[in-house]
Amino acid sequence: MTSSNIDFVYQDRIFEIKNPDPNEILLNYIRTKLKKIGSKNGCSEGGCGACTVVLGEIKNNEINYKAINSCITFLPTLQGKQLILVEDLISKNGSLHPVQQAMVNYHGSQCGICTPGFVMSLFSMFKKKSKFKDDEIRDSISGNLCRCTGYQPIIKAAKSLKNKNKIDHFTKNKKNIINLLKKINNKSVVIYNKGKKYFAPQYVHELKKILKKNIDANFLSGGTDLSLTVTKERKDIHSIIYMNSISELNYIKNNNKYIEVGASTPLIELESYIKKYYPDFTKILRRYGSPQIRNVATVAGNIATASPIGDCLPLLLSLNAQVVLQDLKKNRILFLDDFFISYRKTKLKKGQFISSIRIPILKGNILKSYKVSKRFDDDISSVCAAFNLEIVKNKFHSVTIAYGGMAAIPKRAIHCEKILSNSLVTDEIIHKAKKALERDFKPINDMRASGSYRMNIAKNLLEKCCAEIKQKKLIGIYF
Amino acid sequence: MKQETFINENRPHESAIKHVTGKAYYTDDIPEPPGTLYGAIGWSKKAHAIIKKINLDKVFKSEGVVAVVTSDDIPGRNDVGPVYDGDPIFPKKAEYYGQPLFAVAATTTELARKAVLAAKISYKTLKPITTIKEALKKKSFVLKERVIKKGEALKAIESSVHRLKGNFTTGSQEHFALEGQSAFVIPQEDNDFKVFSKTQHPSETQQIIAKMLNQKSNSITVETRRLGGSFGSTETQSFIFAAICTLLAKKTKRAIKLRVDRDDDIIITGKRHDFYSEYSVGFDELGVITGLKLKLASRCGISPDLSGAINERALLHVDNAYYLENVLVENYLCKTNTASNTAFRGFGANQAMMVIENIIDHIATTLNKDSAEIRRRNFYQKKKKNITHYNMKIEDNVIQEIYDQLIKSSNYKSRQLSIKKFNSENKYIKKGICFTPVKFGISFTTWHLNQAGSLVHIYYNDGSVHVNHGGVEMGNGVHTKIAQLTAHALGINFSKIKVSATTTDKVPNTSASAASSTTDLNGAATLNAISKIKMNLAAYVKRKYKIKNSEGIYENGMVKFKGKTFKFNKLIKEAYLNRVSLSSTGFYTTPKIHFDKKTFKGRPFLYFCYSAAVSEVMIDTLTGENKILRADILHDAGRAINPAIETGQIEGGFVQGAGWLGCEEVVWKTNGQITTHSPSTYKIPAVSDMPEKFNAEIFKKGINIENVINKSKTTGEPPLMNAMSVFFAIKNAIASIGNYTANPKLDAPATPEKILMSIKNLKRKI
Repeated sequence: MTSSNIDFVYQDRIFEIKNPDPNEILLNYIRTKLKKIGSKNGCSEGGCGACTVVLGEIKNNEINYKAINSCITFLPTLQGKQLILVEDLISKNGSLHPVQQAMVNYHGSQCGICTPGFVMSLFSMFKKKSKFKDDEIRDSISGNLCRCTGYQPIIKAAKSLKNKNKIDHFTKNKKNIINLLKKINNKSVVIYNKGKKYFAPQYVHELKKILKKNIDANFLSGGTDLSLTVTKERKDIHSIIYMNSISELNYIKNNNKYIEVGASTPLIELESYIKKYYPDFTKILRRYGSPQIRNVATVAGNIATASPIGDCLPLLLSLNAQVVLQDLKKNRILFLDDFFISYRKTKLKKGQFISSIRIPILKGNILKSYKVSKRFDDDISSVCAAFNLEIVKNKFHSVTIAYGGMAAIPKRAIHCEKILSNSLVTDEIIHKAKKALERDFKPINDMRASGSYRMNIAKNLLEKCCAEIKQKKLIGIYF
Repeated sequence: MKQETFINENRPHESAIKHVTGKAYYTDDIPEPPGTLYGAIGWSKKAHAIIKKINLDKVFKSEGVVAVVTSDDIPGRNDVGPVYDGDPIFPKKAEYYGQPLFAVAATTTELARKAVLAAKISYKTLKPITTIKEALKKKSFVLKERVIKKGEALKAIESSVHRLKGNFTTGSQEHFALEGQSAFVIPQEDNDFKVFSKTQHPSETQQIIAKMLNQKSNSITVETRRLGGSFGSTETQSFIFAAICTLLAKKTKRAIKLRVDRDDDIIITGKRHDFYSEYSVGFDELGVITGLKLKLASRCGISPDLSGAINERALLHVDNAYYLENVLVENYLCKTNTASNTAFRGFGANQAMMVIENIIDHIATTLNKDSAEIRRRNFYQKKKKNITHYNMKIEDNVIQEIYDQLIKSSNYKSRQLSIKKFNSENKYIKKGICFTPVKFGISFTTWHLNQAGSLVHIYYNDGSVHVNHGGVEMGNGVHTKIAQLTAHALGINFSKIKVSATTTDKVPNTSASAASSTTDLNGAATLNAISKIKMNLAAYVKRKYKIKNSEGIYENGMVKFKGKTFKFNKLIKEAYLNRVSLSSTGFYTTPKIHFDKKTFKGRPFLYFCYSAAVSEVMIDTLTGENKILRADILHDAGRAINPAIETGQIEGGFVQGAGWLGCEEVVWKTNGQITTHSPSTYKIPAVSDMPEKFNAEIFKKGINIENVINKSKTTGEPPLMNAMSVFFAIKNAIASIGNYTANPKLDAPATPEKILMSIKNLKRKI
């Protein structure tokens, strides 16, 4: 079924929006049309968490409660989901939700403006996790900024939830909501509104048809980058194809040679899946962005954006990942290394889309990856490095090294790799390899870091990687 | 029955339930009347330029635009400068990148923001001054330089056993209150305007709008219910937005809401002053300072704004907790083509305290001694060495007691040893630890601002109480604390008290909610109002029941006079029926203070807040990444009205200070363009930046020896400075690389890059 309306569940009933503006931002809709002012606009770029709302989505006949940034979410992507706002947490008899009560009890609010966002992030954790370990608590609110409290009372509030009864009014009403969601989640959306087009296909074959007629359309995956065109540059996006509505592309498969990740799979799912293969991949994904970002952002989106500071990319390059492209007729498989052309330019042709990414499973190799930024949580890399090393009898065999933040594209360190390949692991060789990075990269100065600092840490990260291997322990301050 | 006192207890914020349910209104949340329009501001893309032409044709034609305002629409004063002129609403000449040039009103915020981009502005570019050093060289100042002195600094330095010289920089800081600048204006009859402004200073907002419109102050009412954080960002910087919003309302005769986009907010408004200092210090073999010469230069931006008062507070805090016998300070207020820097928690004091702490640190590494011990040796003392460089005798000094208790409770000495051991065993990862003290003076240094008013009503129907006062609730908990004081003073339940929006038509001529004095001043004014109502009640009881000279004891909902006890509600109702006034204004002025700005002598402060922290950090010498492992804070809050609120301030201030000295870096290009104007480029501390172990304690023996409400001491600004311990712990970790024999050069903020650079430079030296 195709429709120009979107349906979503709000407060136990189905809401329909007729032919919405494809560029309308969810937060704007919440504040000006639903007239709910609890969700705040702090930055319009998903960087402060004040706008956090929770979306309920059906997954295995359960509801998956995802915290998202409503300030960078396009309204039509609400199709088929449940919208939960801070106002909805209070139960019908007026009692506060356990998360809200904990924030009151532990003095978690001072000025109070970031509080609804924190409440929603903690609510999502409350619904998804069972133990609330310290690192889970920190991760769950790593995308919420508070300028007043210094976070201590919020952490205390979150820890107190460990002993709380997990059955809330959402649990009690779950069946009803699932039924409502099932009524609305089986349709494709096509919107034409004031010269703006929006497509949310359900199947790849639909996508191909749409793509044929709308060759200039922008792919919207997580949209954590694309939406800034509207919110920051204040420009219209005339044609959007939403990829995350295609459940066929939401998968992680494994044939023992490689892990295949479908284009619309959110990063947060890859994060837990890949841990047993490449723990450092998971470590970097944790720092890719906040849960609100990782809940919607995808590997395919990160690749297609081709940002020099996309944190998945050095890892994928170093692992020799492949990207599967599709058009109407055929599939094409490219090594990621061949995919990036120049600053934010790729070999993705018009009419083509990324359908999946293949990440090789390497058994004897060591994969190490590091991210350096001004702040641990939710920051953009000054440098991100990934080292894929095969060391046999104190000798480097295959070596693949890639860096982000060092050039206009995420890039392999070819000269450095050459020095190391087939050399004995010695301080002298490592020193030479560090020096070779100067031939690989000429990093730039910007507000995040100077070029010379980037070069410095690029070298030092190689040293760190080798020292860790030699000493058989991790060296650093974040574990 | 347990007597409820409502003070000295942990009570949730008065709006806590509204905060967690999303029902608390901030300016942008106030329901709008039909026909409301939305504003946006167009600003200069050049840091210094003559504006040749502003072509707004396309702006007018933009979708949804209803009106455009420029300087031509201002009937009165085209300036929002609080003390001096220099902050034009719409200037003739652009003096900084981001300076407002015009504004539009449109049918939605999105359309208004789109419309301003359609402006065509032609500039004749002039050379901007963008750094303190450049301004010093070109003698570009916003106010005249000043020199303060005590004793003979130069002679003392010359004749001292040891001498050191150096320079030091602390960076700027963006306030990043999660609620950005916003205003909402509704036109009223008679050309009056009702202004809802996100501001720490409703009274001055009123005055500035009146002057802009050439109207009387009584035609403008400014109301502020609560702020979503502020920290100084709306002590003056909110004025231009309230002014522009009113101008649009006047032009369109419709209500206007102006919520400034985060990037525009950061680009348009001023921030914390970055300071550059040069020092020359003499000291004896014990590390005790004998003479100090300082050059203190701050980046003020394009105008004086509050820079005069900020630099004055800096001059008053170059001593921090240390006795200085001979001091000479030259102070320069640099004019640069950047947004006019402004109030920010600490207000210059923290910058000056960093200067002296850096000097003490330098002395300690030079003598190869424990820096905490060198700090202790320089402390002010009780009976001697107790006169400040501005001739104020310190009578409430508890820094030694705080030092003793904290050094012990934090296990400073044994941790110092284990850190040294850790460092000798680890090549790449180093730890550091540091103790720093805080002494911070409380009162506005501008004498007349130390006054406050309040308005208290008791309603006869149910005995409920309405309080309005001049203070603004911005997360400081002022309304909660004043409600507690009121409940205590009247002996009635907290739930019967409503402390509501700060409004200029209820309490006039208020001072900004600033200088950490908001609760001290407004709490005292409220108690004054209550005591007047109590006097009315006592007079009535005396008259009616012939009870002699009894003031009445207000407890547990009862009022006891000698020989006669009333239920509170009953007394109130009876008093009403007997025509007794149940409403009163209250007023308070801070006693004892006086200060001669010319001679720089006097008693500018009623009292001092004392605090100290011990922080332990870990740094990665390969990358410069760093982390606070543990922070122990001991803070004198006197007899805290609400320890939970004070603890919140102590912890929050510390983390905010750690941001200032750590991950927060404001960056300008050489052309004056700011490049850190959103959370993606400007990083305030997030949850993982909180110390892994965080022990913030209130000094139990604390009591205010002055006559301040509840014998409490404020907590607003002083906790921020405890973060100095983090910075110097980082320096301590770096110094371990040279076996603590050489002094690392490290400027703030200590970003990973600065730390790595410091390590590199140190390695070259050793």
